[in-house]
This record gives sequence, C-alpha cells and structure tokens, in this order.
Amino acid sequence: MKIIHPRPNPIVAAMYTLRDLNVDVIVVHGPAGCCFMASRMLEEAGVRVVTSGLMEDDLIFGGSESLVETLKMSWEKFHPDTVAVIGTCSSMIIGEDMDASIKKAALPCNVFSVDSHGCSGDNTTGAVKALECACRAGLLSEGERDRQIFLMNAATSMEKRVGMAGREYLSPTRGPTKLAAARRIADALGSGKRVACAMLAKKELAFRFADMFIALTEAKEKLGGELYLVGNLDGNLGLPRIRGYAEAICSELDSKGVSYESVGGMDEYALIGGRIKEKVDGFAPDLLIIIGIPHAYPELFPGNLLVTDQPRQLANYLSMGLDAVGEVSSHSMVMGVKSIIPLETGDTLRELLR
Amino acid sequence: MRRIAIYGKGGIGKSTTSSNVTAALCERGLKVMQIGCDPKSDSTGLLLGGKRPLTVLNAVRGGGSPALDDIVFEGYGGSLCVECGGPKPGTGCAGRGIIAAFETLERLGAVEHFRPDVVIYDVLGDVVCGGFAMPIRNGYARDIFVVTSGEMMSLYAAGNIAEAVKGFSDSGYARFGGLIQNSRAIRGEDGKVREAAEELGTEVIAVLPRSETVQECEAMGMTVIQGAPDSAQAEAYRSLASELLRRSEEAAGGLRGM
Ligand SMILES: Nc1ncnc2c1ncn2[C@@H]1O[C@H](COP(=O)(O)OP(=O)(O)OP(=O)(O)O)[C@@H](O)[C@H]1O
Ligand SMILES: [Mg+2]
Repeated sequence: MKIIHPRPNPIVAAMYTLRDLNVDVIVVHGPAGCCFMASRMLEEAGVRVVTSGLMEDDLIFGGSESLVETLKMSWEKFHPDTVAVIGTCSSMIIGEDMDASIKKAALPCNVFSVDSHGCSGDNTTGAVKALECACRAGLLSEGERDRQIFLMNAATSMEKRVGMAGREYLSPTRGPTKLAAARRIADALGSGKRVACAMLAKKELAFRFADMFIALTEAKEKLGGELYLVGNLDGNLGLPRIRGYAEAICSELDSKGVSYESVGGMDEYALIGGRIKEKVDGFAPDLLIIIGIPHAYPELFPGNLLVTDQPRQLANYLSMGLDAVGEVSSHSMVMGVKSIIPLETGDTLRELLR
Repeated sequence: MRRIAIYGKGGIGKSTTSSNVTAALCERGLKVMQIGCDPKSDSTGLLLGGKRPLTVLNAVRGGGSPALDDIVFEGYGGSLCVECGGPKPGTGCAGRGIIAAFETLERLGAVEHFRPDVVIYDVLGDVVCGGFAMPIRNGYARDIFVVTSGEMMSLYAAGNIAEAVKGFSDSGYARFGGLIQNSRAIRGEDGKVREAAEELGTEVIAVLPRSETVQECEAMGMTVIQGAPDSAQAEAYRSLASELLRRSEEAAGGLRGM
C-alpha cells in the first residue's frame, strides 16, 4: 500500500531516540531547514539541536568543512559530553564521510555519527540506526539496544496492523468537543457504575494523559462509583530519559493520592495491550476509557471512550464508528515538561462537576 | 544553434575528439562553444594550449559572482572554452555540480552573449546519475553522439548511453545521433562497431583511425587540426565535423533549445 499522508520520518525518529539517550547535542548534517520543526521541539526538551546548514557549494564539493566548523562551534558554545551527528537525505546521497569530519574536528568528548536519511522506509528504521550507533559509542548496552529494537519493530507492526500506517490517506480532524465524553464519565460514576481507565501512552505524552488519572480520581471522590486505573508507567524499564519520565509521573500521582496500577514500561505501549486488558477484564468495567494510543489495546468497542493526541488517528477511530476525542497538539505541549500538565478531557470533567 | 553532446566510456577519446571537431568547425568560420562536463576539467586543454581555465563551479564557489569573461575562455580558432569543474574525487556530488554549472551559464546568458553556432558538451564517462544526464535533458543538447572503439566495454557503455537517451526521448529533448568510432586498432573493429550500431538501431557516423599524430599534437598542447593540419588524421576530424553538422538540428533558444 502506498501511504501518502504526512508522517514522521527516519531522521526525526533517530533524533528522538538520541534525546531519550540523553545526548547533549545533535548536529543535523544537512540543509538548514531540514527537520526544523522536530529540531525546535527537541530544543524545548533541552537537547541542543544544531545544523551544519549545507549549501549548494557543499553538495557539489562536499560538506566536510561545514560539518567540522559546526562541531567546533558546538563544543565552544555547549561543552557537551556527547554529540551525535545525524545524516539527512542530502548528505547521505552525496556520500558524506561524517566519521572523517568527526575525527578532523577532534572534540574532547564523545562524538558519533548516525547515517540516517529520509528514504530508508518506516520511521523506526531511523530509531534503530540511532540505537545501533549509540551502542557502538558506548551509550547503551547491547541488551537494551536489542530490547529497544524489538519494541520498535512491535510498534511498527502495530501501526501497520491497526494504526495510521494501514491507511493510504487520512486527513486530520479535531473531532467533537470533550463535553459529551465528560458527561458519559460523570453519568457512569454518578450512578455507581464501574469505570476503568487504561493508559497506553507513548513516552513523554504520558505527562499529559496522566492528568486523566487525577481528574477521574477527583470525580470519583465527588460522585462515587468504582474506579480502576492502569497504565504503562514502570520506571525500571527503558532508556534513561524515559525512565526519568515514568518516575516523575508516578511520584506526582502518588503525592496526589491517585491509586493506579503500573503494567509495563513507557516504551512498551505496543506490546502490553494484552496484559493491560487482562487487568481491565478482571475489574469488569461498565465504562472503559482508553487513553494514549488506544489502538494498542487488543480490542476496541463502540462503547469504549478513546482519547488520542493524534488528529489523523482520531479520524481513523471516528471512521470506524468508535467514540473518541482528540487531545491534538499534545505533543508540542509535553516537550520539555517535568510534571503532569492538564488534559482537556480531564479539565472538562472538572468543570462539569464544579 | 546546434546543440551536440559527446558521451562515451572513460578514456575513450571524447575530449580529444570534441576538441578536434571544435577546432575543425572554427576553421570554417563557425563560432563554437565547447563545454567540458567533467570534474577533471580537462576537456578544453588542447584548445587552450594546455592551460587550465578557471572552472564555472570554482568561480561561483563561496558566493562568487563571476562575469562571463571569467569563465568563458577564447581558445584556438576563436573557440569558446568552458569547464564546468567539480569536486575532488571521492567528495561531494559532481552530478549536482553539472546542474549548478549549467544554471550559472544560463543565468549569465552565455549563449545570448556569444551567439555560438554550435555548442558541444563533452560529458564524463557514463551517464552515472541524473546530473550527468543533464545535457540530454531539459533541452540543453539536441543531438547525442557516442565515441566508442570496438572494445567490448566501450560498446557496452555506448549501449547504456543510448538507453538513457531513449529514456528521455519521450519528453522530446534529445535524440541519439549515432556512434563515432575512435579506433583502437583491434581485430575486426569496424565490423564490431557497425554490428553494435545496428543493434542499437543507429549508425556509425565516422571512423577515426588510431594515430600517433594525436599524441604528438597532445604533447604540444594542441589539437591535430592546429598541430598537424595537413595530416590524414586532421582530415578525418574535419569530415567528422561535417557529419555532425549534417546530422544535428538547428534550433532556436538560449542554452536550452525551444
Ligand atoms: N584516435 C586516436 N589515436 C591515438 N590516440 C588517441 C586517439 N583518440 C584519443 N587518443 C588518446 O587517448 C587518450 C584519452 O583521450 P581523451 O582524454 O580524449 O579521452 P576521454 O574520453 O575524454 O577521457 P575521460 O573519460 O578521462 O575524459 C589521450 O591521451 C588521447 O591522446
Ligand atoms: Mg575527457
């Protein structure tokens, strides 16, 4: 199937993976505008992202000088411990020898290259490249590398099976407001019913989706009913930055008196749907709310309430006749945050009960 | 204006043949611009007495804005010599360089200014990527000729180039004009080249003998037309020049034909 809607590319996936490995500086070896949207987001998250700013001259004569200069400037400005140079379409088509330039720049820190480019297929191919190169540079163990690659492949095949990667084109939608969704939740709790919320959140997006746990806990206190919360928040799994996210979220939930169960790590969203479903089935809810990446849950029914951050995914759910709301632009909101931020669905529920 | 591109396997004699044709056409009073499309930038050496001119790409590198006089050099017989230039072997992208060099020549209005009767593109080796197909595409060259000997690898390259030209012919840009046999004096050479031409659905438009004179003149930094004007080899180049004129198409336009 030829998929034509805009979607993440392997270079950006490589950059996000490098962020999760706590790389200090990412040098994008390519034209100035290449990946700039993602670069700005990553800058918000505290990673320094710079570009070698290739120009036509560099394409023709080679971009080594530009890269060496960029590397030296990065050292002068940031004094990083680790620097990753990532390839782009233009630099990889002309066969840039990034390692030779890294050697020439001779920075007194750990610098390695990732020969990613945009035409290598699924975006996860970029993440896998980054993991392999980072492993060689000593940033993670072979065991963790292989675990990450396994998860990555699971995520790719899940997206192809049930996600957006299985559709030729999806236009984004903002979907309905959150009012009806909040009413459904309030009605269920208010009439003493059993409500479960399963979070399958992808990494930093949990900073926003976790607010649903807090809002539901508050609602139950006011309205009664039964509540069961489960999410992929195990802080002992994953790359360093991701573990930090899980720890921060869990301690905030704990301090707010939210009682929830943790099943699987934040990078395991594509794999742990089955285990989470077992827990949910054990609770036998009248209303099931699935937040984060709902299609990672093994079975979706029209009676479920789905909350996603993806406008295209939302269109996908709605077209399947599912009840869903979209927390669009969550991605830009969570970049760089260190604590839970409000979810519109959660806030709507709060407002309804005020 | 005639727009002719000369292709062929590496080292087969493209630059020598192009330069001699340019010299022979100039001798007849035609204005000829020879554009070397090879990062080695050694296409026009025989017309310029062995001098290495500033290349188009070196002139614009680092934001330079050259005038036409900085990149078009007058050579033997009033010929106009241009070298596109390009990167050192193993770095950058020579194909992208050809595209950028053509853009520069077009921007500066090289054709409008000099009004040549014939433009000859001398293009590196094989059509290895989009950049080296540039003369075939977008209306730069109209008639494509391939220099070949009877050696297998050279005929093989000729086949590839013919293939590339055919691939573009649907867009109406260029057409395949025929094979130029630059003999290596191997056994049964004429027959082999003729057979290959038939297979490609084309003709051998000229047979250039292998001759010591070529290298003697090269040693003096000259074409045969200049260094040994009365030789049989010079005559062979002159008749090739006539053949190219006869088989190429006159078309209006700037660097690109209309
Ligand atoms: N007919 C000929 N007789 C004898 N020597 C020849 C003949 N044609 C070309 N040569 C010699 O062959 C050598 C290579 O020729 P030339 O440089 O023209 O090849 P080319 O195809 O332009 O090579 P490149 O692909 O490297 O640009 C030169 O030294 C030239 O003198
Ligand atoms: Mg040559």
